Parts: sequence; C-alpha cells; structure tokens
Amino acid sequence: MKKKYRLIEPYIWILPSCVLMALFIALPIGMVFRMAFSQVTRAGIVKGFTGFDNFIAATGKPAFKIVLWNTVVWTVVVVVVSTVVGFILALLLNNEFRGRKIARAIVVFPWATTLVIQASVWNFIINTDYGTLNTLLKKLGIISTNINWTPTPGAYFAWECFVGIFVTIPFVTFCVLSGLQGIDESFYEAATADGANYWQKLFHITIPLVRPQLTVSTVLNIIYVFNSFPIIWTMSKGDPANRTDTLVTYLYKLAFYNGKQGQAAAISVIGFLILLVCASVYMVFTLRGQKER
Amino acid sequence: MNMRKLTAGLVLGSAVAGMVAGSAYAESSDKISISVIAAQYGQQTANWWKGFEKDFEKDNPNIDLNVDVVSWNDIYTAVNTRIANNQAPDILNIDVFADYQADGLLLPAKDYVSEETYSKMYESFLDQSVVDGTVWAIPDLASARAMYYNADILKEVGVEAPKTWDDLKNVCKAIKDHYNGEVYPWGIDLTTDEGQAAFAYYTWNNGGGFVDDDNNWALNSDKNVEAVEFEIGLIKDGYTNTDPANETRYDLQDMFGAGKIAMMIGPNSIPAYLKEGGYSINYEVAPIPTNTDTSVSAGVMDRFMCFDNGYSDEKLKAISTFFDYFYDDQRYSDWVQMEGFLPATKTGGEIIAKADESMAAWVDIVGSSKFYPTAKAEWADVKQGVIDVEQNALLGEDVKGLLDSLQSEIAG
Repeated sequence: MKKKYRLIEPYIWILPSCVLMALFIALPIGMVFRMAFSQVTRAGIVKGFTGFDNFIAATGKPAFKIVLWNTVVWTVVVVVVSTVVGFILALLLNNEFRGRKIARAIVVFPWATTLVIQASVWNFIINTDYGTLNTLLKKLGIISTNINWTPTPGAYFAWECFVGIFVTIPFVTFCVLSGLQGIDESFYEAATADGANYWQKLFHITIPLVRPQLTVSTVLNIIYVFNSFPIIWTMSKGDPANRTDTLVTYLYKLAFYNGKQGQAAAISVIGFLILLVCASVYMVFTLRGQKER
Repeated sequence: MNMRKLTAGLVLGSAVAGMVAGSAYAESSDKISISVIAAQYGQQTANWWKGFEKDFEKDNPNIDLNVDVVSWNDIYTAVNTRIANNQAPDILNIDVFADYQADGLLLPAKDYVSEETYSKMYESFLDQSVVDGTVWAIPDLASARAMYYNADILKEVGVEAPKTWDDLKNVCKAIKDHYNGEVYPWGIDLTTDEGQAAFAYYTWNNGGGFVDDDNNWALNSDKNVEAVEFEIGLIKDGYTNTDPANETRYDLQDMFGAGKIAMMIGPNSIPAYLKEGGYSINYEVAPIPTNTDTSVSAGVMDRFMCFDNGYSDEKLKAISTFFDYFYDDQRYSDWVQMEGFLPATKTGGEIIAKADESMAAWVDIVGSSKFYPTAKAEWADVKQGVIDVEQNALLGEDVKGLLDSLQSEIAG
C-alpha cells in the first residue's frame, strides 16, 4: 500500500500546477483554435466549423502583408538593439565605480513603469504642438518653430521601436548582469597572464559564459516584443491605415472594432505558430552550441 | 495560530459566508430580478444609476433591479462574453443593435415598451432602429454636431464664420496667413475612433453619404469622391492640425480650448468639456459649412434594447415598468441633462428647451439631423472602411480607387 502511494505521490504534488496550466493555458489556447476554425457572429456566438475560411479571409487582405512586415521589423529591431545595448550596459554596470548602486536602480526605472504610462509619456514628449521636446529645444534656442517629429507613418513607427527598445533594455541588462557576476575572476586572471587583450577576453570568456542568460533573455524578449500591445496601441493605434499596426494590434482591431472575432482568432493562431517556430529554432541552435562546447 | 486551527477557521468562515449568501439569494428569489448593462457616459453616470436603482426598488418592491455600468472601452467585450456564456443581460444600453438583432437575440420594442412611453419618442429616432419593418430598440439619448469657432481669432483676422466650402477655404487661408502657422485654422479627426464622423460631415454636406435614396450602400458616388478630396485637400493645404490620423476629437477640443485651433466640428457637449477643462475662450456655434443649399448636422443616437431570455408575462411586465419609470418626463430630462446630451423624446425636448435657452437650438438641430445607417448589418465594416479610405487618401492614394474597392467589398 505504502509502495503504491510512493509511486503516485509525485503526481499528486504536481497535480495542482497541471490543473492550473490546463485551466489557464491549454484551455484558452484550445478555445482560440476552435474560434479560428469556426464561423463567429458579431455578437460573439460560435456557429459551426468553417475550415480555413477565417485564415483565407484574414490573410487575403492587403493590410495583412503590411502588418506582418511591421511585426517582423518591430520584433527584430527591438530585440536585437535592446540586446546589444543591454549587454553593453551590463558590462559597464559590472565594473566597480562610485554610485554603482544608484546607476543600477536608474536602469530599473523604465522596467518598473507601466508600458501604457511609458508610451503616453513619450507621446507627450514628441507631440508637435505641446510636446516637451519642442519646448526644450525652443527654450535652448536650437529651433524657432515647432518640429513635427512624426510627419510620416514610418517616423511614428520608428519612435515606437525606440520606446520598445527603451523599455526592453533593463530586462536584458539584469539577465546579463546576473550571468556576469557568476563568472570567476580567475578566468580573466589566467587569460591576462597568457597575454589576451580586452576583446579576446570578451569574445572567448565573457560571451560564452553568459550565453545561457542571453538565451533566456532573447527567447523571452522575442515572445514579449512580438506580443506587445500597449506601446503601439497607446501611441498610434496602428494608424494611419494599418501602417503602424503589428499582428497583435491588428487582431485587436479586427475583433473589437470590426466584430470579426473568427478572423482575429485565425491571426492569433498564425502568430502563435510563428512564435513557436522562432523560439524553438533559436533554443535548439543555442542549446546545441552549448553542448558542443 | 497553528496550521490546523487556521484551516478550520477558514472552512468555518467560508461556510458561514455561504449561508449568508444563500439566505440573500433565497430572499431575492421571490422577487423578479432585472439585469441591466448600461454604458458609462461620463463621471456621473454610475452615481445616477445607483440613485435610480434605489428609487425604482423603493417604488416597485417586488422587483430587484441590478444595473452594471460599464465603460465604452469594455462594454462590447463585456456584452459579447455574457452572450457567449448564455448570460445575456435583460436590458442593454449601448449604441449599436443590428448585430444582436441579426443573431435573433432581441425582442421587438413593442413587446416591452408601453403604448404611452412609446408615443413619447421622436418618430425619426425610432426609424433608426428598424429592421424588416420592426423597431428593435428605443433611443435613450442623442447628440448632434455643429461647427464651433473662436470668435476672437475670426475677429482679429477680420473674417466671418464660413457658411460654404468656398468660404471655409478662404477663411482658412486668411487665418493661416495672419498667424503664420501659429494657429491651425481647422480641426480634423480621421482617427480609428471617429474618422467616420468626418466622412459624414463632408459627404452629407456635398449631397452624398453612406447610402442612396433607396437605402442601398453608395460609398463611391461622385459626390463622395469630391467630398473626401475636398477634406484631404484642406489637410494638404496646411489648414489643419498636423496629425489628423492620430489626433482624436479630445485632442482637438483641447487645442480649440487653448486657442490653438480656430474652428472645428464637434458635439453639443463641447461647452461642458471646455468648462470642465478650465478653458475660457470666446467661442460661437454655427451650422457645419456646406457645398449644398442647406447644412446637414450629424446626429448620434444611443439605444435601449431587450434580450430575448424567454420571459414570463410577469417579468415582461416588470421590464415594461422599468421603461415607464425611466422615461418619466422629469426623470428622463434629468438623465439627459446630467452629461449634457439631447433628449430623444418629444416631451423631454420640451422640458429641456424651456429650462435652458441655449439647448433649444440644439433640440431643433437634433430633430433635423442625419444619422449613421447603423441598422444595416454591414455598418461595422463600412465604418472602419471609410476611416481606412480617409487615412489611405491622406497617404496619397487615389480617393476614387479607394472608394470603388470599398463599395465592391461591401455591396459585392
């Protein structure tokens, strides 16, 4: 009896988390898939299987191509730039200097503020008519009339990417910093004794040893940034004419402005699959690299 | 406290809570309960409904009224979720109705509105909720749009308020030249929130519009093409705010209040908005500039509707009582005035026109307004479609081509 209990005991322990995961992760994903393959009325009633109709309708629109391309640009630019800058910042913060603790605290600020607030503040800064950036430049005598910082949709999107990078850097910095602090000083001492220069130490000691942290931060960032809604929604709502939409803001508009919940679910499924593939490929490559080492 | 005691305490506590909840349920179960979801129009809406609920239950002790006030941002999601879970409210106060009607979820208005209350409503308002010859919803309030202008700016420049499109262009040019770009002559909002209103202002005042005389979609008519080209032309000529695709009506209202915009089209609630915002500019109201003989105002109307939840006669009577109570003349005019709206009933209109002279003109305007064709099932697509057309036109695409493809997408 006791032996049998021992056998099932581990499963009892993990049962609560399995139930929670099924309830809050698997079930909603299943429901989104069901909606994506069903006809859904504007009032939200699911009315039977329609095959790939929603997918064909959603991807057939001219806006979809723009939005997909925007999503790729948004994800790649924000993740790559914030990883590079965050990494450099972590190297700086890992040095001993006066006020290091304060500097670290300042880096956390953008991370600790809600994205909606961040985006609203930046919107306020770059506003043509009452923005603080124009006011500042005017006071300093650099400009005499207000500059329109967002004259084209491309300019708007670039600002959104900038804000995305700004709020993502702290996360990368702290992931890398935790890795840097775990590196034994003796590696560097040995390398210095062998005559290695700064760059050799960086590429042959530091980067390989923080690779696990970099992998975690990059994979999580790809997922977060790809699915990020508040920055773009607060700053431009994807306007004008979908030029600043990403898949997530686009599907929100489809579902809650256009009443096309089936098509929105289809786009959600497409996004889910893209992320699944990207994240798995990245994980497989980096983990394989680690094993070979 | 050790763990066992704590657990016992929790179990006991929840059991007691359950008993209390149970008895509350038992008490209310012999009353008829009505659930209402109401849109939050402003700061005072929730409080107003709370007071209404209290008064109503006092006067009708056999009815248990539950009103949920939900913000406009969440109300569609909230209602759809409840419908999907088979928990549709009994009564809903919202702007649209055609989608619910198309799914067969609503009762005809005549089934739950008494003759007396029904006869108070403006005919033209009831007409907005007709599908297949049946009225499916009743109006709860309305608002209308007109042109607001900064009288000081126009006086300084030495021009009169524009009446026609030609006037408008001339006045805009005069203001632009005089202030050298420091003041935007004209405010335009082409955002995802309200771009359809801009489309209505220009097309209706050029003899076009969303539908033709037979109520069929006529989005790509020559009049509409001309109207949208005129609208986009104002922006291209530098007569407007710099970012019409991202600046909402509220941004415009703030700029108007700050004297940064000279003229704009807006709802009758702007005076209240400016007062609340602490702005003190000298402004006047005038009809929207037109390219035809008469200026057309845009009316917006919200509604009450009743979901078909399989009611007993008793419950249907209770719902009817609710509407009689709500549309009681004095109570109704309080409701309308609370957030600065316009009445949808003749009797309410009379009371408000008498109480406030400045509102009398608005009551006339709303009576002659045109409305969005919200009773047509494709309206949601048309609304987003015309906003897309305007925004793409702003990016330099051909207006005729855009409207042609929208028309073929909607009307097939």
